[in-house]
Amino acid sequence: MSEARLEILSNIRKSLTAGEPKTSQRTSELRARLKGTAPQIQPRFAEDNLTRFCEKHVAVHGTYELIKSVDIEAAVIRYLQGLEIDPQIHLGAGPCLDQVGWSEGVFTYKKSADKNTRVAVSEAFAAVAETGTLVMCSGSDLLPSHNFLPDDHIVIADCERIVRYQEDVWPLLRVDDHFPQRAVNLITGPSKTGDIEQTIQYGAHGPRRLHVLIVKD
Amino acid sequence: MSEISSIQRVEFQDRVRTALNDVHLQRAMAKAKSGFVDKRLEAKNALPEFDQIRDAARDIKDHVLSNLDTYLELYEEKVIENGGHVHWARDAEEACSIIAEICKASGARTVTKGKSMVSEEMYLNPALEAVGMEVVETDLGEYIVQLAGETPSHIIAPAVHKTREQITDLFHEHHSPLGYTDRVTQREALVNEARSVLRERFVSADVGITGANFLVAETGANVIVTNEGNGDLTSSLPKVHIVTAGIEKVIPSLEDLSVLLRVLARSATGQEFSAYTSIYSGPRRPEDGEGPEAYHVVLLDNGRSSMLGSDYQSMLRCIRCGACLNHCPVYGAIGGHAYGWIYPGPMGSVLTPLLNGFDSAVDLPNACTLNGRCKEVCPVHIPLSDLLLKHRTEQHDRKLTSVTSRWILTAWAWLVRRPRFYQAVMAIPLWTMNRVSRGAGGLRWIPFGRGWTNTRDFPVPARKSFLRQWHSQEKGRE
Repeated sequence: MSEARLEILSNIRKSLTAGEPKTSQRTSELRARLKGTAPQIQPRFAEDNLTRFCEKHVAVHGTYELIKSVDIEAAVIRYLQGLEIDPQIHLGAGPCLDQVGWSEGVFTYKKSADKNTRVAVSEAFAAVAETGTLVMCSGSDLLPSHNFLPDDHIVIADCERIVRYQEDVWPLLRVDDHFPQRAVNLITGPSKTGDIEQTIQYGAHGPRRLHVLIVKD
Repeated sequence: MSEISSIQRVEFQDRVRTALNDVHLQRAMAKAKSGFVDKRLEAKNALPEFDQIRDAARDIKDHVLSNLDTYLELYEEKVIENGGHVHWARDAEEACSIIAEICKASGARTVTKGKSMVSEEMYLNPALEAVGMEVVETDLGEYIVQLAGETPSHIIAPAVHKTREQITDLFHEHHSPLGYTDRVTQREALVNEARSVLRERFVSADVGITGANFLVAETGANVIVTNEGNGDLTSSLPKVHIVTAGIEKVIPSLEDLSVLLRVLARSATGQEFSAYTSIYSGPRRPEDGEGPEAYHVVLLDNGRSSMLGSDYQSMLRCIRCGACLNHCPVYGAIGGHAYGWIYPGPMGSVLTPLLNGFDSAVDLPNACTLNGRCKEVCPVHIPLSDLLLKHRTEQHDRKLTSVTSRWILTAWAWLVRRPRFYQAVMAIPLWTMNRVSRGAGGLRWIPFGRGWTNTRDFPVPARKSFLRQWHSQEKGRE
């Protein structure tokens, strides 16, 4: 135990003498509170989850397409053709994405993205209707560099995994074997900056475009 | 007046004068002015529950502060469980030497940084450069001020004081040697050039240092909120990730995080949610395909533990959104650098004397109009204007103010306690001013008032005081 640690903690305790009493019961109460609490006040909205997600995602400059699971590859190719980008993709993993049998014309890489990576295709762990947010978790085939280095990020989102509020994501993370996951990236729209003249410019350091393929069978 | 504060007073007034006469600064500030304010109001109006969520955010912060020792220990326990290291630093110097040691021990040469105000508080960059590290700021605004050899002038928009022309010049000067010889002037081209230059830095850095908007005790995670994604590239790509945070940043659980995130982005930029909110827990695991091999957290006290239990405890609720800066007319007029330290605006004027010593920033609490907008917009209900007033009282009690001002206040206090005499005395300047102005309504010059009359007329008060008018009306009715 470092000297600094002891001194800081003892300073805090000295300052807090008027605060709540420090008992072992209190500590276990606080420890129990860490396991999560019931959600507090949340914004009310009338739309269903899918509508709200799409509305909010578009509001932050995202694009999307509603597709069937069998059409994932075709939708990816179509999107890249529209941007005149070769179908060379850094590939993530997930229940929907793993089902895709990529044809010979599509080059897929299962490795970290680098500074020249053009496109990554990932699958979201979940999505949040409230704010149009994608929830990405790290794991063996789930590489956070795919979320931040490519110019174009295509994300598959299972419609069934669009939850209403941010707080609905936490229980899903908690029951996952890897909890607490090393990296949980909540992504809402493409990368942007307002640092030059307080005017929004897209494509600061992360993806310039964010395209979501919402899978609904 | 002590010698230190008299020097500082002159420095502060000089800085203000320079700021008011700085054409670039005034142009940049005028451009930024209403943007943040309007966008916040729009976001607030779009969320009917905003005020209830603010109350909840304040309650979470208060709950943590009154159990801070326990939450810090629980948080530390989790970080260690995740395979990370927690370091405790009593002051800036200790924090810098811890971080320099980690960098040296890992054989690092280059360091990328995500935006972190607490690292500015530590003066971390010069400390790392002194041990041979090359330090690169990666938030676009921070990068711009780093190229300019300056510090941020706003806690969330570091380069708000820079015009596009100035940024063009900076990029041209610093990027030409890297092969970017074209002089780019458009916003999109400037952002693209910085993207391309900084990409090289991201992928080649040995250590990444970020701040933390929150530390979650439940998971032992640090949470960073950005729009650019620079914080994530800084956290994920280098083999060592170091998180710097003040001890007040810890919160209990992910549900608490949700409450705070709902007020943070709205108050800061008027966004519902920032582009990237990331939760990082420890170094890479055996199953991970990538990620840092080592994960360190440096917790900085630097005066915070002494604020607990004091009249200023509520200042520790601050989530560094910058709303108080955006709504402050003084900040809008003089910009951040005039405040003299890294935390500007209302939150800085409260915090700087507490962290650097009461006699270190005597003028800051007085450079305030007490209009109360900062208190009104604070997402965690910090009574900023009340705290500034408290600072003024404390300065008076500690005799940090000038002899003249204390003498005038004492005389004033004596006078107002004697209403009849007060009325009689005050009638003299009223009469004189009306006489001299000859009904013009304003005076071009008043004794001891040149600071005012240099730039505007002094309005002449009514010929008779309110009380006298009232009494004569009452008499008329009888």
